[in-house]
Amino acid sequence: MSDRQDAPKKPQRPGPLSSWKFIVGLLIGVVVYAYGWRVTEINLQDLVTGAPKIVHIVTQIVQPDLLTRDRAYQRADAQFEVPCAGSTPTQPAASEGEPYLVLSHTCGLPGEPLSIEGFNFRPNTRGTLRWTPPVGTQRSLAHIDSDANGHFAVALTVPDVGESEEVHRLEAELRWSVGLPYPSETSRIVFEKMVETVFLALMATTFAIFLAVPLSFLGARNLMSTYRGTMIVYFVVRGFFNIVRSIEPLIWAIIFAVWVSIGPFAGVLALGMHSIAALGKLYSEQVESIDPGPIEALQATGANALQTIVYAVVPQIVPPYVAFTIYRWDINVRMSTVIGMVGGGGVGFLLIQWVNLLRYKQAGVAVWAITIVVWVMDYVSGVIREKII
Amino acid sequence: MLEIQNLTKVYEGGTVALRNVSFIVNDGEFMVIVGLSGSGKSTLLRCINRLIEPTEGRVIWNGIDITALSGDELRKIRRQIGMIFQQFNLVKRSSVMTNVLSGRLGYVNPWRSALGRFPKQDVAKAWKALETVGILDQANKRADELSGGQQQRVGIARALMQDPQLLLADEPVASLDPATSHSILKYLEQLNRELGVTVLCSLHFLSLARAYGTRLIALKDGEVVFEGLPAEIDDDKFRDIYGQEAVQVEIR
Repeated sequence: MSDRQDAPKKPQRPGPLSSWKFIVGLLIGVVVYAYGWRVTEINLQDLVTGAPKIVHIVTQIVQPDLLTRDRAYQRADAQFEVPCAGSTPTQPAASEGEPYLVLSHTCGLPGEPLSIEGFNFRPNTRGTLRWTPPVGTQRSLAHIDSDANGHFAVALTVPDVGESEEVHRLEAELRWSVGLPYPSETSRIVFEKMVETVFLALMATTFAIFLAVPLSFLGARNLMSTYRGTMIVYFVVRGFFNIVRSIEPLIWAIIFAVWVSIGPFAGVLALGMHSIAALGKLYSEQVESIDPGPIEALQATGANALQTIVYAVVPQIVPPYVAFTIYRWDINVRMSTVIGMVGGGGVGFLLIQWVNLLRYKQAGVAVWAITIVVWVMDYVSGVIREKII
Repeated sequence: MLEIQNLTKVYEGGTVALRNVSFIVNDGEFMVIVGLSGSGKSTLLRCINRLIEPTEGRVIWNGIDITALSGDELRKIRRQIGMIFQQFNLVKRSSVMTNVLSGRLGYVNPWRSALGRFPKQDVAKAWKALETVGILDQANKRADELSGGQQQRVGIARALMQDPQLLLADEPVASLDPATSHSILKYLEQLNRELGVTVLCSLHFLSLARAYGTRLIALKDGEVVFEGLPAEIDDDKFRDIYGQEAVQVEIR
């Protein structure tokens, strides 16, 4: 009612006082940031010199174990005695067309030279040469590559194996891929867990909606300010929102992982709990900011309370409610990848395991899956929100 | 006949918006209320249909004391009194059609209407109302896609749906440009002359009041300082209403 004009304010000029204040402000700023620099141990030199350490992690993550092909192999073996016992070990008979090995000699002592040739192998193929002693573990001796004729030759020394009467076995194995590439086991697990993650977020968001919608009306000041009693409810609800919201989903996940044991259900509860408060607060603020004009207009037409809510309040709050909810789902998908790390199920669980096992190619698959899903969710929720508001 | 008797409104915090206001509006009049911002025009109009509860005094309409009604009785009176607003007060995200139909809510079954269903004759009535105000082709647009003048016409169509005997207009053209202002006021004039709707309209500009009002009251600080024909306001009276420093601005 009182929209009388105020006297226009004089524009403020920076006088000597304000420049004095500016210098003090600048000094305080310098002190604050200098302390911040020290206390957070910012070290730009480490940033540069440490870079090579992450190269192998990054290169493995950017080459994720996405696809695989079936492997075929070809083997041939030969026998060797350590030391020479006089009797020549019988070599396996080489049949027509089959690969076979030829040794420069068939017995000797560790450290003595030994050259091995292979014939009739698959051309241009890689493989390994292994030594299997009669006692003890097998060891790899050398990498081998067959040439265009399926022949290879390696010169090496007899390894430091224990002397025994029984024969040692030498084995050459070539391996190659056959058939079309198909999704690796890693990809399949990640896909399964990613689906779980998206649904985990969906369930958490849905549970949160059911509690957040009614609570949002109790937490809206414009609706609750009529009576003292309702004002108390308002403060209690707002207090609940603020406390629950300030506890990160990660903490809730730890609590619920103990409560209902590790798994996606703990994740649903953790994200749901946080979402109730986060959505409740956003919803309440939306109710608080509705335009009272249409409500007044509909009351003036003789509409009753129900009609006024349906025609004047609901159209104003539903689109932003839907928009906030989709945005929350989007956030929850992102959060659920983290939740998994503390036992809340979903793809995060896999990710943290692989990282701990230093299996970065597998971890890479999870990282890429998360990136793509978050990207898609972000895009889709953006499109839907744009349509609605 | 609308009779305002000794109406006083004191807001919480002690602001006195209306002081002992009394006047009569005869059926079929186009009565204009003028006065500065904050003089109590909006409060007065809202006290008539009790969007604002008056502190003291009575509002008698066709022999019924509106100030004494409650619940359903008040709603039945309200549906006969149309109202249009400075800010149009449309539901911006709803369609023009829905906004117009919502003017009929006081008459229809509340449960059916809560599901968004209206009787066929009301839908037909809405099309006719849109035709009357000349925005038939905008029916399916969202209300906020329309220009200000078009939105106010939706507001008039909504009020028309009530079959009003009285139309309260709270500065209906204050947010519009001069040309649009005239077109809106012409619609009100048309309702007044052709359908016999009594109009009680607050306006900023005296020139508009002179052009459209059949009678005029002026409010200053919540009190009636003039009641009579628009033509009777001379320079002295003008300064009484708007203050010594005011200058008349014409809207043509």
